[in-house]
Amino acid sequence: MTDSKYFTTTKKGEIFELKAELNSDKKEKKKEAVKKVIASMTVGKDVSALFPDVVNCMQTDNLELKKLVYLYLMNYAKSQPDMAIMAVNTFVKDCEDPNPLIRALAVRTMGCIRVDKITEYLCEPLRKCLKDEDPYVRKTAAVCVAKLHDINAQLVEDQGFLDTLKDLISDSNPMVVANAVAALSEIAESHPNSNLLDLNPQTINKLLTALNECTEWGQIFILDCLANYTPRDDRESQSICERVTPRLSHANSAVVLSAVKVLMKFMEMLPKDLDYYGTLLKKLAPPLVTLLSAEPELQYVALRNINLIVQRRPEILKHEMKVFFVKYNDPIYVKLEKLDIMIRLASQANIAQVLAELKEYATEVDVDFVRKAVRAIGRCAIKVEQSAERCVSTLLDLIQTKVNYVVQEAIVVIKDIFRKYPNKYESVIATLCENLDSLDEPEARAAMIWIVGEYAERIDNADELLESFLEGFHDESTQVQLQLLTAIVKLFLKKPTETQELVQQVLSLATQDSDNPDLRDRGYIYWRLLSTDPVAAKEVVLAEKPLISEETDLIEPTLLEELICHIGTLASVYHKPPSAFVEGSRGVQHKRLPGSAGSGESVESPDTGSAAGVSDAPPAVIPSQGDLLGDLLNLDLTPPATTGPPPPATSGMQLGAMDLLGGGLDSLLGGDLGGSSAMGAGFGAPPAAPAASFSAPVSGGLDDLFDLGGGVGMPMGAYSPPKTVWLPAMKGKGLEISGTFARRAGVIQMEMTLTNKAMSVMTDFAIQFNRNSFGLAPAGPLQVLTPLSPNQSIEVTLPLNTVGPVMKMDPLNNLQVAVKNNIDVFYFSCQYPISMLFVEDGKMERQVFLATWKDISNDNEAQFQIKDCHLSSDAASNKLQGSNIFTIAKRTVDGQDMLYQSTKLSNGIWVLAELRVQTGNPTFTVSLAQQTVWSNHCSDCAANY
Amino acid sequence: MISQLFILSSKGDHLIYKDYRGEAGSDVIDVFYEKVTALTGDQPPVVMVTHHKDLHFVHIRQGGLYWVATTTADSSPFSIIEFLNRLSGLVKDYCGSLSEKAVQMNFALIYELLDEVLDYGYVQMTSSDVLKNFIQSEAVSSKPFSLFDLSNVGLFGAETQQNKVAPSSAATRPIQSSRDPGGKSEIFVDVIEKMSVVIGSNGVLMKADIEGEVRVKCYMPSCSEMRIGLNEEFSVGKSQLRGYGAAVRVDECSFHQSVQLDEFHSHRILRLCPSQGEHAVMQYRLSDELPSAPPFRLFPSVERDSAGRLLMYLKLRCDLPPKRSVSLLPEGAGLSQELSSPDQSAELQLQNRTVFWKIPRFCGGTQLSALFKLDVPGLSSASMLEVGPVGLSFELPKWTGTGLQIRFLRLSPIHPGPSQRWVRYVTHSDSYIIRI
Repeated sequence: MTDSKYFTTTKKGEIFELKAELNSDKKEKKKEAVKKVIASMTVGKDVSALFPDVVNCMQTDNLELKKLVYLYLMNYAKSQPDMAIMAVNTFVKDCEDPNPLIRALAVRTMGCIRVDKITEYLCEPLRKCLKDEDPYVRKTAAVCVAKLHDINAQLVEDQGFLDTLKDLISDSNPMVVANAVAALSEIAESHPNSNLLDLNPQTINKLLTALNECTEWGQIFILDCLANYTPRDDRESQSICERVTPRLSHANSAVVLSAVKVLMKFMEMLPKDLDYYGTLLKKLAPPLVTLLSAEPELQYVALRNINLIVQRRPEILKHEMKVFFVKYNDPIYVKLEKLDIMIRLASQANIAQVLAELKEYATEVDVDFVRKAVRAIGRCAIKVEQSAERCVSTLLDLIQTKVNYVVQEAIVVIKDIFRKYPNKYESVIATLCENLDSLDEPEARAAMIWIVGEYAERIDNADELLESFLEGFHDESTQVQLQLLTAIVKLFLKKPTETQELVQQVLSLATQDSDNPDLRDRGYIYWRLLSTDPVAAKEVVLAEKPLISEETDLIEPTLLEELICHIGTLASVYHKPPSAFVEGSRGVQHKRLPGSAGSGESVESPDTGSAAGVSDAPPAVIPSQGDLLGDLLNLDLTPPATTGPPPPATSGMQLGAMDLLGGGLDSLLGGDLGGSSAMGAGFGAPPAAPAASFSAPVSGGLDDLFDLGGGVGMPMGAYSPPKTVWLPAMKGKGLEISGTFARRAGVIQMEMTLTNKAMSVMTDFAIQFNRNSFGLAPAGPLQVLTPLSPNQSIEVTLPLNTVGPVMKMDPLNNLQVAVKNNIDVFYFSCQYPISMLFVEDGKMERQVFLATWKDISNDNEAQFQIKDCHLSSDAASNKLQGSNIFTIAKRTVDGQDMLYQSTKLSNGIWVLAELRVQTGNPTFTVSLAQQTVWSNHCSDCAANY
Repeated sequence: MISQLFILSSKGDHLIYKDYRGEAGSDVIDVFYEKVTALTGDQPPVVMVTHHKDLHFVHIRQGGLYWVATTTADSSPFSIIEFLNRLSGLVKDYCGSLSEKAVQMNFALIYELLDEVLDYGYVQMTSSDVLKNFIQSEAVSSKPFSLFDLSNVGLFGAETQQNKVAPSSAATRPIQSSRDPGGKSEIFVDVIEKMSVVIGSNGVLMKADIEGEVRVKCYMPSCSEMRIGLNEEFSVGKSQLRGYGAAVRVDECSFHQSVQLDEFHSHRILRLCPSQGEHAVMQYRLSDELPSAPPFRLFPSVERDSAGRLLMYLKLRCDLPPKRSVSLLPEGAGLSQELSSPDQSAELQLQNRTVFWKIPRFCGGTQLSALFKLDVPGLSSASMLEVGPVGLSFELPKWTGTGLQIRFLRLSPIHPGPSQRWVRYVTHSDSYIIRI
């Protein structure tokens, strides 16, 4: 007897028959009857009427029958909640059965009965099962917590199941651990802010240990969970990578891909020059290639993911081009994906091979595939310049076949090639024109018309060709109409004499006879342009067009970053962020890649760049001052106009000090300028006194010094402000430069982070300074040896000297910089801290100091107060020495320590200071004096002190 | 996580339906079937249905059936597909074969399986070894199984029916029936290689890949340990060469997680405790650098005769050692034929614009030729470009492209009573293309 007969009984009295059988005394008969019921259920018949009869069969010791009854219960309990209560007693009893299979079965089934009333009966048995001695029961119970949470989250929290679940992460059985992790991950997702799955190095370690022991499916849960963790530093991320790497050779491709996700994410943290980084890159290629020998369904998903990986890190697969060659028996969806990746990997090295393949594909049978192959040839031409000529000749060969869709597709891509390499391949136009009549697709017609218009002066019969299109103007699609309008206007501007009539005709067709607003508007614009100023019209219509580049089809970098975090999930298959297709009930968090230690700022926050851009920008305020103050006072000032870029997290320790002094300086500057409240408010108005502008740079230096004084445990050496963004990527065509200055071992250094946010590789970097106040100039070339690939950052240190040409800048410490790369030259300005210029031999002889101090006229003196500086005079003196401000003498008068200090600027100007420190009073008083009159401005400057 | 799982016949009949998370109703089955059959040709395995915005279908086709899972969250289609493949494998192991009928007959068993392999949409276990502790139902087989049903033509063609070769149907039976005391304890080790080759129009080998696997099908009720010895010269990666014989090299290989590799590095021995059912114990891949020349070469000439007909003269040579025979099925583009021997046949399929040339048997070291004359309306010199390529599909028994051999197969402890061990080799064409 076979089970298939259950599906064939469709008689009318069936339900009654079944009822009778279910109530039969014979076990075998009962079982057969329940099977029939389940069979009917599967094919969609309503057998809910049998609920009480089926539930009556529940109390049996036959496990097979019990399972069938439970299966029925799960399906119908929801529609019969009151009846479902009848079953509760049996469930509770089963949960204490000596047979672990029955205990687990009962817990599993109860969780699936989504009836509120049942849940309260479930709590006690579940609590017991979570602590069951049998791991099979425990792992079932762990999942049951997630089920219960879905039905009644509050209940789960009140009953303390979450804590029990957390304990299960340390269970001895890896299956239990895996299920606990899965359940916790799911619960945590619905509470985005809870700290349920507290990932810390200890739990991570536990998970990594469990990883080696659990089943392949458990490994997937654990790896996915690991991917959400952010390691503290590159060391930790390397050690996690090392322990995850063995998973790459797993036979289950889902494990492999989850491992790839973890590695791709944590790799971001590793410094690129690390040996391990290179090793890791090499290890990633073979498993990805192996994925392509799996079933076509898996290949498809793998290819969609590889497409992302190749865009992010092309170096991984650059030598594996051949595996993406299409096999003739691949399903079409695999073929199309492979083509896409082939183009992404195409380079000068392999282009010959790729082209040969593409040419073969272009003669295959499948139309979609052929079209895409032809298009791919065009994309290769645009991507690899050296191959353009061969691509064009390949396309011409294909046009010769006269296969209609091949010709049309070829013309569309040849148009793109013209746009990339203007005035290079016009010789082929004649061939294209031969095929004019066979074009019936709008895209191809539009492309052809564009070509004719663009090169009208070289096509003798351009007017005839365009006129022929004009005949059926109203039957064309909008795309073609617009293109035809533009082409004829172009033609007219190039050959005005013989085409006047034609242009009149098209303009009236477009403006009077058309009801398409786009077309009408464009027609009117051309008409008015032509009638008012033909010369201007020529400039507008025949303007040089920007070249197109292959990047247009790449995924936008921020989206790509997010998608990389979702490798292996649906998002990576759709190439859409999860928020686009998962509805909001579960919190969807945007994931980002972690930044590497050095370039954290540049990777993480494009906002920072724009903020800095803003503070550079406002021209009404004295910009440099605003900037500097932002710099000095840093977090203390909140108004956006003067807020400096938020400092990177690494400088957290210095901030406290900044803050303290910021407050002090703020008030002292305010006082200096006659209590202008505008100071505190962020320099909303330009300060009236011209001299004021010089207070900023100098006291900037001061602030920096004292900042150092406040910083606890800083290494000795000149203070170096945190990096700020000098050149935002928006202005730098994708190049972002952030940097700072430092004085290290007597050498002034400019430390920069160059980040490539564009999509093409940057090379040939060079740097130049404009003339400046202190004659700063690069002491060597900019050391960027390797090309900077997209999304890569590089740290550069440029030694400076002070022997360059001098020109007084406003403000004094302003520096204008030009950076050149293969794309363009970019200009930006930045300010350096004055303290950087204090030289090491700035210690004056006591006698000389005394004499000089007296010499300096009162005009050249200034006084400041620095508040809230809790340092003893000795400590202050030590700290200042680190910045080449030397204490010459110290006196104590009336409980006040007076420090006499000197420092020398790189251009030989001495600055003398008297620092009064009242013990117990956090306010320092500084008197500054400057010796020589170097320029009017310097004396101004001194006066300001 | 998987929300629902269902199995449909190719006609859209509901065979199995199980809802794990109660997130959507069973009406989605029909939505899916409509969607997947709406377009001609194969559908990608991941489908989003727009009017169920947060429901995604992931499906595979196995045994003529749709195996479909739905999910609502952004879960991994990879693990779902891998799981569906595994599930169909399990169903095949338990029911003996994979067909609409087999699934219908064993629905209770399959529901039981589904209950164990997934819980709340999370995959729990898929190893038949562990599962057998939990599964109560017995499989129902459609026909009584007979091992010595030799009327069945073997997997490798008629000539391979020697006494040492098991019929291919031997391995299609439910694993649980081996509980019967009368059941034979047998073990099959298959080395299966898939070859994909591209030979350029100038006769140069452009690409040659071999993907291979060692599969074990185990019908032993209890088997504690098995040792499979591979060629001593077997090496992985580019650098290492072992032994003095002809090197057997693969680029990369991966193993099933149950395989112990402690003797692999020194003696090329795989040690494992096979669980019942079918498993790929080892998978390997070799790109380019094949140890031997590709088995088939084609010498084509395509021209236009004075009457405007397309002439295709194909000469096919088999470079295998003599006394091997294969059956193959080359296909080319285009239409009257003159074949070199009578048992071949050729057929023109206008729809795909293809000529099929069937060669039932092909001896190593010999050469076959065919002349096709096709009347093509409007034949131009440009359309000559469209002729080709020639694809070959074939099955080569007892031959592996990499040269991988099983030296020995040892079971310990020695199983009491009769037990049979079978080792089989076969190379399939995956995509064997010769360009014209």
